[in-house]
Amino acid sequence: MKKKKMLLFVLLLVTMLVFVSACSDVEDPVDEENGEETEGTDDPVEEEEEGEDESGMIEAGDEIVVALEAEPTSLDPFNSTDGVSTSVQKTMFEGLLRFDENLDIVPYLSESYEYNDDATELRFTLREGINFHDGTEFNAEVVKANFDFVLDEDNGLARRSFFNFIEEVEVADEFEIIIHASEPNASMASYLAHPTAGMKSLDELEKKMEDPDYNLDRNAIGTGPFRYVEWLDGQHVVVEKNEDYWDQDHMAQVESIRFTSVQEASTRVNQLKTGEVHFVDTLPTGEADSLMDEEYVNVFSGPSMNVFYIGMNLQEEKYQDENVRRAMNHGVDKDQLIAQVVDGFGRVADSPIAPPVYGYSPQAVYEYDIDGALDLMAEAGMEDGFEATLWTRNSTEFTAIAEFVAMQLREIGIEVDVQAYESGTLFDMLDNNDGTDLWIGRWSPGTGEADWGLRPNFASDRVPPNYNNSGFYINEEVDQLLNDALENPNEEERLELYHQAQEIIYQDAPWVFLHVVDAVAAQRTEVGGIYIMQDGSVDMNGVHFINQ
Amino acid sequence: MATYIVRRLLQMIPILLIVSILAFLFVHLTPGDPIRIMYGIEIDQDTYQQLREREGFNDPLPVQYVRYMGNVVRGDFGVSYRTRANVSSEIGRRFINTFVLASVSMIWATLAGLVVGIISAVKRNSLLDRVVMTLSVASISIPSFWLGLLLMQVFAVRLGWLPTSGIGGIRHLIMPAFVLGATVAAIVARFTRSSLLETLGEDYIRTARAKGQIRRNVIFKHALRNALIPVVTMTGLQFGFLIGGAIAIETVFSWPGLGSYLIDGIINRDYPVVQALIMLFSLQFLGVNLLVDLTYAYLNPQIRYS
Repeated sequence: MKKKKMLLFVLLLVTMLVFVSACSDVEDPVDEENGEETEGTDDPVEEEEEGEDESGMIEAGDEIVVALEAEPTSLDPFNSTDGVSTSVQKTMFEGLLRFDENLDIVPYLSESYEYNDDATELRFTLREGINFHDGTEFNAEVVKANFDFVLDEDNGLARRSFFNFIEEVEVADEFEIIIHASEPNASMASYLAHPTAGMKSLDELEKKMEDPDYNLDRNAIGTGPFRYVEWLDGQHVVVEKNEDYWDQDHMAQVESIRFTSVQEASTRVNQLKTGEVHFVDTLPTGEADSLMDEEYVNVFSGPSMNVFYIGMNLQEEKYQDENVRRAMNHGVDKDQLIAQVVDGFGRVADSPIAPPVYGYSPQAVYEYDIDGALDLMAEAGMEDGFEATLWTRNSTEFTAIAEFVAMQLREIGIEVDVQAYESGTLFDMLDNNDGTDLWIGRWSPGTGEADWGLRPNFASDRVPPNYNNSGFYINEEVDQLLNDALENPNEEERLELYHQAQEIIYQDAPWVFLHVVDAVAAQRTEVGGIYIMQDGSVDMNGVHFINQ
Repeated sequence: MATYIVRRLLQMIPILLIVSILAFLFVHLTPGDPIRIMYGIEIDQDTYQQLREREGFNDPLPVQYVRYMGNVVRGDFGVSYRTRANVSSEIGRRFINTFVLASVSMIWATLAGLVVGIISAVKRNSLLDRVVMTLSVASISIPSFWLGLLLMQVFAVRLGWLPTSGIGGIRHLIMPAFVLGATVAAIVARFTRSSLLETLGEDYIRTARAKGQIRRNVIFKHALRNALIPVVTMTGLQFGFLIGGAIAIETVFSWPGLGSYLIDGIINRDYPVVQALIMLFSLQFLGVNLLVDLTYAYLNPQIRYS
């Protein structure tokens, strides 16, 4: 009997200990904003003022809270490819150049830049007097070290190939640097304006080189207006104001930003309604609707770079006649698709790339025309139609598109069988050409310019197992145009080459071009200064509270 | 008793070994490529191959398994492919979150379930009994994510009494613990009721009553103690499930526990995370089972282990 009591007692004790320690463990970090969460619900504006009145010190109201759909994967701009990571990194890292809100390239850590005549060299004059968050100086040596680091194969960084165009980085002077390209490349500046080209401190790079276990994904020393504080997995990443920021005119206007990850979209929406969160992005369009009537919430949307399409395997005999492919394009009512599936938040895809992408040129859309489509099918000898399998990701949005398209294609005699797969599985099947027929795809060029919008999808060397030309579209003319454009330093001529490439691709119709979905975001009315960049990432550097 | 426990613990080793092989095969044979999912189409074939090589995916599976287990034996569960966080320490942190949530849910659910079950059994077929049992059926049938969103709408958005989600003080715990415990409470109540009713019909209860024992003593000392054995089994099992992380609840309330970790791990083909979690869950189940068996011995002195 004693033993049993003893056992039970010990069990109880252990449970209580764990419980108590856990409670005290988790309570601390959020203590300060408990007040905001409880009281702020009915009238968040009043709350804000209270916070400021009490003292001029750091108050809960000085922290911006952002709910992201996922956790970042890395704090190292050289080692991540997702928009969420970029949004977080952008507060801490800066590159030589950047894209402004209109996607124009402007100097950032540089004063000016200049191409040589054949676009094989890009010369930068760097800004002087900039220090990293660890106090070390920014200069030409640091820039060279950064690019050398990312290009070193042994470092195995995800973005290495992004910088493949660089042959050598030459330090011309303490604040002068020349980027030598391996081939003429007039896109260099836009590559270097991408957030991936963010500069980190030389000390950090040296630490990593001395100790391979040093984790750059979890340490962030840049030059940005915010500095890294902490990353609690599954909870948040916090950055705080950099008091020594080099650009006095663009100092951070809030004390800190907390990026939380909230996977469930309806939870993000609820948090925004209660004022626990100031900003949410990548809202499902259905949720956006429910926010429209909220008094303290602004919903905004704009074209994203995401083009939705139906890919088809051109190795299949049924798709080899371009009349069939055009018939399919005419057979889908894109306007209705946008109205029904994305609640009107989108526009018809009039090019293989989206309007915000550099080099975009609109084409004459395939109008919805069943009769015309049936004629085209007959012309191709396909008046009896055929059967097809349509692969889709199993997310709500993708399946809804797939079901809609399947229904419409039936009208022109194509019996479509929709099969939904978990996205990882689907990529695997496409990369290995595992019986590819039709599939719903979505593409957004990470660099924001036409080369990355077209090359991976339509260049003949991108067929499986390379990606992303899973439909085996092969057209030498397109290959040639893409290569010419990349090497041509003359902007007008390049745009013309991209225009031609888009025209040919749109005519050839290797995809059914569906729609460009809008990026939808929402923020509390008491904050301002947040921009959604057209690559889908968020620019928070100018975020501030608005006195109402 | 001590030798019994040691023997049971030793028996776990071969089981865990088998689990580790199954877990390894499960994650590696599922279609989907972690590198492709992590970096998307933004990396070219060269970089892709290089990253595969670095992670050791190009080696034969048995080689990968042996290398993995070699590290595991040394307590190293690897680094998450997705967030490069150390898997062991991350699991440790999330385990505490899940354990807190599961324990609080379990404590209120068991207490409430027992009380309700006992009252229902004693006042069988009364109006109270019927109402409570109807409620419990509802509670078992309502999908927990829906109940969670509903409560969030009422108590966080409309009334503003509680935070919508996340982890923090006691207030963050209330809604998820309530939703998570609701089903368990209902199950416990129904189990207690039926088990107690059955026991109350036994001969020895009639004997006890005939001896002149007061009703309360008969119910609590004689009947309940015997009626609890199946309830304990079931409660233990439920606890086993709960400390595996409640996927729906943790996702809805952004609770950084093991359930949401597992889901993220599976979606991203984060092999080290998924493997470690499967092994942990197996271990937890074995542990809970052992505890349940030991509790039997306490409840029924006729059960002896040696």
